Amino acid sequence: MVNLTIDDKQVTAPKTATIYEAAKMNGVNIPILCHDKKLKPFGACRMCLVEVEQMKGRQIPACTTPVTEGMIIRTSTPDIVKARKMVLELLLLNHPLDCPVCDKAGDCDLQNLTYEYKVDTNRFVDEKFHHEIDYNNPLIERDMNRCVLCGKCARICDEIVSFGALTFIDRGIETKIGCEFEDGLNCEFCGSCISVCPVGSLLARPFKFKARFWSLTKQKSVCGYCGTGCNLTLGVKDNKVLTTLYDENQGFHKGQLCVRGRFGYQFINSDKRLTSPLVRRNGRLIEASWEEALEVVAARLKGGNSVAALGSSRLTNEELTLFKKLMLENVGSSNFDHSAGYAHSALTSGFARSFGTTASPASILDIQKTDLLFVIKTDSYETHPVIGFEINMAVKNRGIKLNIISDKRGKLSKLPGANTFVHKPGSEVSVLNAIAKSILDDKLAVGSVDSVQGYAELAEALKAYTPEAVSALCGLTAEDIKKIAREYASADKALILFPIGQGYVSHNQEMSCAVANLSILTGKLGKEGCGVLCMSEKNNSQGAVDMGFFPRADGMNAQQILDACKNGSVKTLFVAGENPIVSYPDKSKVTTALEAVEFLIVSELFMTETAAMADVVLPACSFAEKDGTFTSTDRRVQYVSPSIRKNSNCKTDFEIFSALISKLGGQTPVSSSLLFSEISSNTDGYAGMTHVSLRKESAFASVNVKPKLIVPKASAAVSSEPGKLAMVTGSALYHSGTLSQFGEGPMHVCPEAYVEMSRKDAANLKIHDKDIVTVSSPTGSLKLNVKVTARIPEGLVFVPYHFSAAPVNAIWDGAPVTMVSLTK
Amino acid sequence: MLCFRILFMEQVLFKHNRPGRMTTFDEYRSEGGFVALARALAGMSPDEVQQAVIDSGMRGRGGAGFPTGKKWSFVPRNLPGPRYLICNCDEMEPGTYKDRVLLERNPHLLVEGMALACYALGVQHAFIFIRRGYEQAADNLRLAVAAAHGAGFLGENVRGSGFSLELDIHQSAGRYICGEETALINALEGIRANPRAKPPFPAVKGLWGQPTVVNNVETLANIPSIINGGPAWWKGLAATPEAAGTKLFCISGHVVRPECFELPLGMKLGEIIDGPCGGMRPGSTFKACIPGGASTPYLTKLHWDVPMDFDPVAKAGSRLGTGGIIVFDQSTCMVAATLNLIRFFARESCGWCTPCREGLPFVRHILERIEAGQGQAGDIDILREHVRLLNHAFCALAPGAMGPVDGLLNHFEDELQEHITAQRCPFEGTHS
Ligand SMILES: Cc1cc2nc3c(=O)[nH]c(=O)nc-3n(C[C@H](O)[C@H](O)[C@H](O)COP(=O)(O)O)c2cc1C
Ligand code: SF4
Ligand code: SF4
Ligand code: SF4
Ligand code: SF4
Ligand code: FES
Repeated sequence: MVNLTIDDKQVTAPKTATIYEAAKMNGVNIPILCHDKKLKPFGACRMCLVEVEQMKGRQIPACTTPVTEGMIIRTSTPDIVKARKMVLELLLLNHPLDCPVCDKAGDCDLQNLTYEYKVDTNRFVDEKFHHEIDYNNPLIERDMNRCVLCGKCARICDEIVSFGALTFIDRGIETKIGCEFEDGLNCEFCGSCISVCPVGSLLARPFKFKARFWSLTKQKSVCGYCGTGCNLTLGVKDNKVLTTLYDENQGFHKGQLCVRGRFGYQFINSDKRLTSPLVRRNGRLIEASWEEALEVVAARLKGGNSVAALGSSRLTNEELTLFKKLMLENVGSSNFDHSAGYAHSALTSGFARSFGTTASPASILDIQKTDLLFVIKTDSYETHPVIGFEINMAVKNRGIKLNIISDKRGKLSKLPGANTFVHKPGSEVSVLNAIAKSILDDKLAVGSVDSVQGYAELAEALKAYTPEAVSALCGLTAEDIKKIAREYASADKALILFPIGQGYVSHNQEMSCAVANLSILTGKLGKEGCGVLCMSEKNNSQGAVDMGFFPRADGMNAQQILDACKNGSVKTLFVAGENPIVSYPDKSKVTTALEAVEFLIVSELFMTETAAMADVVLPACSFAEKDGTFTSTDRRVQYVSPSIRKNSNCKTDFEIFSALISKLGGQTPVSSSLLFSEISSNTDGYAGMTHVSLRKESAFASVNVKPKLIVPKASAAVSSEPGKLAMVTGSALYHSGTLSQFGEGPMHVCPEAYVEMSRKDAANLKIHDKDIVTVSSPTGSLKLNVKVTARIPEGLVFVPYHFSAAPVNAIWDGAPVTMVSLTK
Repeated sequence: MLCFRILFMEQVLFKHNRPGRMTTFDEYRSEGGFVALARALAGMSPDEVQQAVIDSGMRGRGGAGFPTGKKWSFVPRNLPGPRYLICNCDEMEPGTYKDRVLLERNPHLLVEGMALACYALGVQHAFIFIRRGYEQAADNLRLAVAAAHGAGFLGENVRGSGFSLELDIHQSAGRYICGEETALINALEGIRANPRAKPPFPAVKGLWGQPTVVNNVETLANIPSIINGGPAWWKGLAATPEAAGTKLFCISGHVVRPECFELPLGMKLGEIIDGPCGGMRPGSTFKACIPGGASTPYLTKLHWDVPMDFDPVAKAGSRLGTGGIIVFDQSTCMVAATLNLIRFFARESCGWCTPCREGLPFVRHILERIEAGQGQAGDIDILREHVRLLNHAFCALAPGAMGPVDGLLNHFEDELQEHITAQRCPFEGTHS
């Protein structure tokens, strides 16, 4: 700490603080325009000039100057005020001053500072700029005429997003922020640049002319897409969510969002939302009253074990608990599951065996605290972009080492010093086992490891996985494998990350055991900056696991439920918030099953492909219309309250399940908060949490690890077939599950499925970027747009799931790797 | 009488010059070239070389006049990784051309000086950052570097001393801001040539994040003679006891001989003009001059006897700068002259910080108006405010750019006022 004087007040501040930070800590506000606490010091706008007695006569920027012992600082002498006024006058010189039509008005730093400093004379006049406005993309408008060149957009895009779409071009008064070759913006559309722009230069186009800033109600919420659990501020007017607003203090991510969180909110107020219960009569879905619909449903639920349920990991913890209660206690069936069954197996079966718990022994916060990040699949960026930002910052700002094993390269591979080891598709578990073997052989394991349960069996089983043997089938060299092992084991702290989800079949229980083994063998567990983070797919995937919404020994899993629908042993299927027809593997199998089942109940926001087949459709509510809790991938339990009133003819799933329980003669919970109290006393790690406490601050559910070494079974190597390419599926950056299809933002930038392939294969097959090809597999064929990219290795093609219009499950039966042929 | 004195003045930088061509490596060698380097490598520790530079009182010739030995002493010796030396030959300041002359005549001095500096600093990889357009100088340097390599003064294990040095010549795309040392470092790294925030200073964190010294061509070219003659002797080359060494003055404007001279530091302004420059042109009388490149405030007849050394010129309200003197006679409109310079600076602003990016074009706009006979009552105050604000810009370009405006306001306010009152330029039609 150093002692200093700010505006005649004796204060102290940490040695590393800048004058600006020291002042802020001590309640003195120095105006800033180009400074942002998340970004590196910049010092360009000169709004924050202050005087320091020791530097006689000079005015220095508070935002870049570090404090020193004994500094005497004055932050608002008449000279300083004059200088700031003049900076503003200069900025206004060429500024169009079109505040009446600027969406930023009311939230504009330039406007606010001009007001605060009473710059009311127009002493300086000069020509205005005439830059062309960039309307080349549907999401972000770039109007460089309003720009004050604070550089924040270019800096955030580089320093945090690590995309680098924007930069300064030209010089002097001509200086502006431009894109590659002065073209329109074409990037990942995370909107971070909009968030930090202090003026109206960068605006969200979907929000243009929707409302004045001051007429919006700001509602705090939690993103409804992926498992990262980002916090949101929704801008609401007239009971409609009109935009997302930036709050730099919100959440661990300090307000950063990805394209889905930032621009994907439109599904909430979509006019495609279901607004009435529907009951099938004479083959057609007809509007019905709730009473009527619920009666029909309740009658069908009285079938014991012939009733099955598929839930969604987008429902709240309270809803999932209630759904489970309904099934177990009132229906009398233990046949319920979610996420196609396999997408949670890494936790429910893998970690359950390896760690004795169904949660990850690490948190997102560990990313900045580790020494080495070991990422499995570059897709980790696409599936969880804001976790991707954390990785970017760890690598770029803290020099944390990044090793990746993946079947393709990706954005993470471009980070400075990142090593991407590209292996053949489907060979993950073999590679991980070979790393474990190498750790044992090179004596890199911790001394006490042979006392861990399962050690002898694992050591025996790993004999088949020498780096040399695995090298032959995975395509990495034995030396690569040993190097990964060495670096992981010898790092002081190391953290493993891998995504799971419906697109990642091979990220299953076997893989998570293989990963867990590495952390157990090397003692990288139970310490800050260590552990394994299994990145769960949807906003409440971890919650669904924690609530136990998956089958135990006596229940059927999702795949068995579908088989049972087909063979008639399941007669009623209740699907809440899932769209298996599009998102589960093997479309024809799912379709046959749903056609075969006697009675299909679907509770949904939209008329999905699955809902369209239902006998009863119940219109449910989105996260923005209900209260409850979501558990993020790292088990942060967060409370959401309704941001808008629900449509009076929709019910939350909580209400739907409650009503059904009561129709079946059961005891319904008084409120979701009371139910949550029950949840917290019954759920490992949730003890002590209440809605009231979570409303104030989210809380981590603790994870208690009992390590055990498990022998992971590697799946058989995929044999290549001449003339065919190996297809893998997964997530596209802009999407999450199938829900993001109802978000305008994601659909603007990534409207349809595609097949991504290597340059080499494209050249061999005489296929070009943007061609349309037919991709055929043993289960079907699909017409897809071609993307030729440098990141895909020869022999591989990637097709994202998510899309109803070109569902990958038409050509994919759930195998980790599918051999396909491409024809024009 | 004065010409006579020059003949007997000791020169160190132009000593080996041949008329009209570059001195060859062999010529330089035969006149004692690279003796200093050989001696230092054989018998002096790096610290001793640095101490000699400190003792010599050498102040940087790049414009700021920072004591060279002191700058070197800021380089931390205990950090892991390489250290770098960069020779700054961006020389884009209007009125300054001394580094070009030096390199066109004798590039070997720079090569030897850099080798000595690298030895003192523990640098194994040095760069010469040379402006595009200086083709002859760059060609000469390439020859000099190759010759020094051939003779074993560069490369691995120089003369068996264990000291190794690679010297790379980087011809830049050329912008005035690239001369600012941190912008130069950015440019050398291949990124946009914006200045960097200081601290950290380059001596601690410079090229690729490593300790880096940036020195001017002339600064480095002086090191061999400091080692050869000893610091006390070298310091004594100056004209006053306070000054140290000689200085290249490059003169332009209304004098008889607008050339580049090596003169003792501390010679009086009047002595320089009347002596080596051969006085004012016939019909011209001295009105004012820019003493050290376009970024320095004007000196006037009042300053005729000011010793041309760092501190005395600063006391006179200007800066010695680069030693690029531009002399104006009675026919010069100081508003037009200032406008001319401001046009340059406004164009060359890197555009990073508000005062410079927005302020300079506005100052240009005001001066254009005044010169065109459309000056307004408040203009002088607005110019004064800009001088004040632009002093607090991100780098030294903006304060430098306001040097001439400051000089204009301090010494020629009446001329400005006359433009505004008469709504025309009083020199209209008389410009020579
Ligand atoms: C805008 C600007 C341009 C500059 N141009 C040059 C230049 O062309 N050559 C130079 O030696 N120094 C130039 N400088 C000064 C350098 O920043 C630096 O101070 C100098 O190279 C240090 O060398 P010295 O210590 O040998 O004087 C410039 C400074 C500024 C602010
Ligand atoms: S939207 Fe994101 S990726 Fe695109 S320019 Fe802005 S910050 Fe960069
Ligand atoms: S566009 Fe906005 S954020 Fe970017 S430099 Fe301009 S004012 Fe700053
Ligand atoms: S989709 Fe995931 S990463 Fe993106 S904003 Fe939402 S929670 Fe964050
Ligand atoms: S003073 Fe001028 S040249 Fe220097 S950083 Fe600011 S804009 Fe760039
Ligand atoms: S906020 Fe400090 S210079 Fe911009």
